[in-house]
Order: sequence, then structure tokens, then C-alpha cells
Amino acid sequence: MARISPDDLGAIKKSKAEHHGDFIRVGMSTCGIAAGADKVFRVLGEEIKKRGSAIELRKCGCLGMCHAEPLVEVAVQGMPRVVYCRVDEDCAREIFRRHIEKHKILQDYVIEMQSEDAQ
Amino acid sequence: MNEKTVLMMDTSAEGDAATKDFHDSFMNALRESDLSAQINLVRVRDIGIYNHGMVLKILPDNITYARVEPADIRRIIGVTLKHGNRIQDLEYKPRARQLRLVLKNCGRIDPESIDDYIAADGYQALRKAVIEGSPGQVIAEMKASGLRGRGGGGFPTGLKWEMTAEVASAEKYVICNADEGDPGAYMDRSVLEGNPHAVIEGMLLAGYAVGATQGYFYIRAEYPLAIERVQRAIDQARDYGLAGDTILGSGFSMPLDIRLGAGAFVCGEETALIASIEGKRGTPSPRPPYPSVKGLWGSSTVINNVETLANVAPIILNGSAWFAKFGTEKSKGTKVFAVTGKVKNSGLIEVPMGTTLRDIVYEIGGGTAAGARFKAVQTGGPSGGVIPEQFLDTGVDYDNLQKLGSIMGSGGLIVMDENDCMVDIAKFYLKFCVDESCGKCSPCRIGGWQMLHILEGISEGRGTLEDLDRLQRISKAMQKASLCGLGQTAANPVLSTLKYFEDEYREHIVNHRCPARKCKALLNFVIVSNKCKKCGLCARTCPEKAITGDREQGYIIDKTRCINCGMCFEACKFDAVERN
Repeated sequence: MARISPDDLGAIKKSKAEHHGDFIRVGMSTCGIAAGADKVFRVLGEEIKKRGSAIELRKCGCLGMCHAEPLVEVAVQGMPRVVYCRVDEDCAREIFRRHIEKHKILQDYVIEMQSEDAQ
Repeated sequence: MNEKTVLMMDTSAEGDAATKDFHDSFMNALRESDLSAQINLVRVRDIGIYNHGMVLKILPDNITYARVEPADIRRIIGVTLKHGNRIQDLEYKPRARQLRLVLKNCGRIDPESIDDYIAADGYQALRKAVIEGSPGQVIAEMKASGLRGRGGGGFPTGLKWEMTAEVASAEKYVICNADEGDPGAYMDRSVLEGNPHAVIEGMLLAGYAVGATQGYFYIRAEYPLAIERVQRAIDQARDYGLAGDTILGSGFSMPLDIRLGAGAFVCGEETALIASIEGKRGTPSPRPPYPSVKGLWGSSTVINNVETLANVAPIILNGSAWFAKFGTEKSKGTKVFAVTGKVKNSGLIEVPMGTTLRDIVYEIGGGTAAGARFKAVQTGGPSGGVIPEQFLDTGVDYDNLQKLGSIMGSGGLIVMDENDCMVDIAKFYLKFCVDESCGKCSPCRIGGWQMLHILEGISEGRGTLEDLDRLQRISKAMQKASLCGLGQTAANPVLSTLKYFEDEYREHIVNHRCPARKCKALLNFVIVSNKCKKCGLCARTCPEKAITGDREQGYIIDKTRCINCGMCFEACKFDAVERN
């Protein structure tokens, strides 16, 4: 990485803003990892590989809802942004099969949802 | 009609079954109206509202209805789902909301990517300051914002920076205090793990304002993930030219490094922290001179807490007037709390200063965990105190909490219910301070130990009423004569529990009874024969083999061998073991 100029800050922001594909985001702070987020992250990575999916897998910090970890946020175009809670390995596979591939929201695991345009 | 989503949850009885029934009725009604294809019904795990019956959230309209009855379903379908209109009498208006300034990007951006932070307007405040502004402007902005130190002291940040800037010194240091040690508090860890660049930007701004030549993160070694992420963030910022030499091509240079704390609580105190970075034993020294005058290696030093520094960039970017809009007259902005203990939703919350404790515990935290009676909240860790139910409507800010005999502290907020014994709580915190006392000054070293001894006596039924006076007297001596904050505040949990729960102390002393049934030495375990199912689990669990009997005759506890450990009580599935 090279040194950047003050103007590059704006350019980085712009290029990030233009790039908005589908993604899955796993809360990977100490609270999340203690609840098993690293296993969930691994399973999601395996599913992406197995199914040849183009969805991007990201890490993030703590959303604050530590009682409900592991938290997994899913953003798929044409669907609301959904945060699933208490996700285990089976649920992670289910998220892939139902939410990402069939565009159906899972019952009983949602903790937060926003309409697609809210973000 | 566009597709809509209806989120639903029964918030009263934790009734999954109630939510399922409601979901089915709603689904049937949708089918009858031929809408089942356009409307998504989702049962959720948590809807952020508590004890308000059936709660529905309708997206994308963003309408929330509470206390919905099955009879309302048709109305909701007809008025809201078909025509997008609101039903006034069902609408829910929240009393308290979180306001995320510090935690805004925590959990939203990748902490390991500097580009993610930049995309969220990261380092714009630094650019604004070093390219367009001046150190004086940064200090003026910070002073006008009214930001006070979030580590617990509440000293005005802008003033601290101004005092440091005024000192002439060849070397100057900025230290980020990430030696978070209060039991139950982990705000700083989450910020460092979730958004390390925000703290780095705050440090660089502080360094620019005071004219610093070097910055240090002092992070406790027990936070390996935070250390890893901060190190990665420092490397990324240096590679981009945002930290280190000639930042963003300006004349300002400030390298950043990490120093690890070895786990001593007292090293969170600034003079002990400085000694620890210098490689000396982490013991405090008397102030003045304050670190702004004579700090790290004798040079002028500014020390700020993680959360304080995370507040800086948004203030510089959005202006002090924007920041000063939030909070109360004397405490501006927001505060992050780690809400733990006997609360339904433990986690991190961020609320504007002045939010009441009741709203924090009940509206945001969801109330007590097991539905047990609320007793008190503890704020400020071992330096703080308990706040009982009658003061729950107090708005939290530095001054209000101090008036109640507690402190804001760094932001640990522990909820306690009727099963928590206040003598036991006081003992726990005091034990913590006794263990962590560095031993340099005698009021803290000896006073703490003596008080702990007295509290142990009380919780074992050996206390006398004179002990209560003795506790008060030693507390006063420790407050007045201890060298640093640890000893000066170590007695606070004892004093505040004595102030609000003296009855409980007296009950232990006079009647040898622990009302919360926590102090094991005062308990008496018995097996109630008509509840006992003769399963023998208690006998197998007992470590002292004090429970005798068999599956025919039933079981009894042999008082001479029982050590009151309570394992049989925990083990029994039929509540047949009672403690009196």
C-alpha cells in the first residue's frame, strides 16, 4: 500500500460506495467468537465455496446485542437487510439454502430487519 | 401493491407458542384476503420492545404496533397492509432510544479494513484538521463540545488538551488508556475490536492539538483480539501515510505504538500507567504534577480513555454545536454502557446522557432476566456504588450519579435482583480492590484488608452492630488518606450498600439471616420429604457425602457433615431441597 493524498480519501469512499454487491457479515468480536461466531464464519465460507456463490463474506465488530450472538447480517438485493441471531452451524447452512438461494426469510432467528433502501 | 414484511413477536410471556398461534391466524387471514403472496410474515427472536403484548413491525413502512390482539388482524390487513395507512391506537411510541455516535460503525464495518473506515467518512476529521485547520481550532472545538473524559473521571477533554498544549516540551506524548479493568465492563474492548481506526484518528487529532511526537496505546494483555486489530490498524494507517511521518503530507508527524498492560487494575490509574509504560513497577505517584506537566519520561503527556478518543473525530467533523445538542447541560453527548448481570439483554448500549436508569434497564435492557424482583444497579465498578429502585428515574450523567453515592465510571452497569445479597456484593468489590491494591500506601493496603475481614465476619454471622460504625470509619480514612483513586474509592461499594441497604446488614448481624439467601454460612439446607422424588441426585452430587438414604426411604442431610455448599440445592430438579 502506498501513501495516500488528502484527495484519495474521497476517492476511496466513492469507489467503495459504487461497489455494492450482496454480502453476509458475521460479528467477530470477542463476544461473538465466544458464542461460536468463528465456526459460523467457517461454515459460511465452506458453503460459498461448495455452491460457487458470488456473495461476499465479511467480518465486523460487535453490534451491541451480545446476549444474542453469534449475529449474522445478510444483504441480498431485492430483500430487506436481515440480522439473524443465535446462529449455529446448522442455521448458517439454512441461511444459505433458504435466504440466499431461495430468498425466503428464516422464521424464529431474526433480531433486526431494515428495508433495503434504509441503509 | 409492493411486497411488505410483517415482523411479529409476543413480548409478554416469552411465549413462542403465542407467537406461533398469532402467526397462523395472521396467515389464515391473509389467505382469505388473497394477500399471502405479497406479504411476508416473519416470527422474530427479539423485536426490541418488552412487555407490550404482541408487537408487529411493518416494513418498508416502518410502522410499529404494540399490544395487538387477534381481533385487530383484519383491521391491520385492511388499513395498513392494503392501503399503507397507520392505525393510531395501536401505534407504539418508544420512550427511550439508543443513540449511536461512538458505536455508529461498530458492527457495520470490517475492523480489519482501513478502506471500510474511510468509506464511512473515516480520517476526514484528521484531514480537515491537519490540512485546513490548526491545533488551536481543534482545542477550541473540543472545549466548545463539552466532551468529558469517558474513563470515569469526567474531566473536560478540551481543557486537558489545552493544558497539555501550553506546556513547552521537546517530546510530548498521547496515551490511549485501554486498561479496562472494571468487572463487567467491556465497552473499550468492543470499540477497539469493532472500529480501531476511530480510536487511532482520535489519538492523532489529540496529538495534533497538543503537539505530540509519539502516541501509545496501553492495552491490557487480556485483550488479544483488540491488540491484534489495533496493531493491524496502526500498520494500515502508517502505510497510507495517515500515521507516522508527515501525516497526509502535512508537517505533523506522530508514530503510534502499543504497550501491553500485565493485568494490574491499578495501571488504569494514569500515574501508575505511565510508570508501567516506562518499564517500572505499576504503582501510582502523588499528583500534582499532573501528566500534562510531567508525564511519560518526564515529558508533557495527555492520557485519554478509548471511548473519549472515539468521540473526537465525529466532533471535529460535524462541529461542536452538533455534539452539544446531545445530552444534558453539564454532560454532553452519549455514554456507552456494558449492561450485564440479571438483565434480560446483556450487551452494549449507547444512550444520550440524561437517559433514565429505568429506561436503560427496562426499555432497552428488557427488564430483569428471570422476572425476579429488581433490587439495584451497580455502576462504576469497584469505585462505584449501588443505586436502589427508588432512584431509577434519575437521568444518568456525571453529577447525578455522584449525588447518589455512585459514579459514572467507565460504563459498567450491573443489574441486580432480589437474589443478590448486598453484603455479598460489597464483599465482592472490596475483595477485588484488596487483591488489586498495589500496597504502596497503608490506608489502601491495610484499610481494605480490615474492612474485608469485617464483611466476611458479617456474612458468616459473626458480625456485631459496632462493625457498621467501624466500616464507616475505615472507609472515611481510606477516602481521605489513600494515594490514588483505587484506595480513595475502594470503600464506595461498602458505603453505598450500607446507605441504601443497612437493613440487610442488620439482618445478617442480629438475626443471622441472609434475606437474599446468598451467604452460605447462614443457610440451612433441608430436604422436604413430600417434594422429594427419591431420585438420589442430591446424594450423588454432595461432595462431602453428607446426604444419606436410599431410593426406598428417601434422603436426609447430615448437619454435622454439611458444608453449606449448596450443590444439592442446585442439583435438585423438583425444588425439594430448601434453603432457609
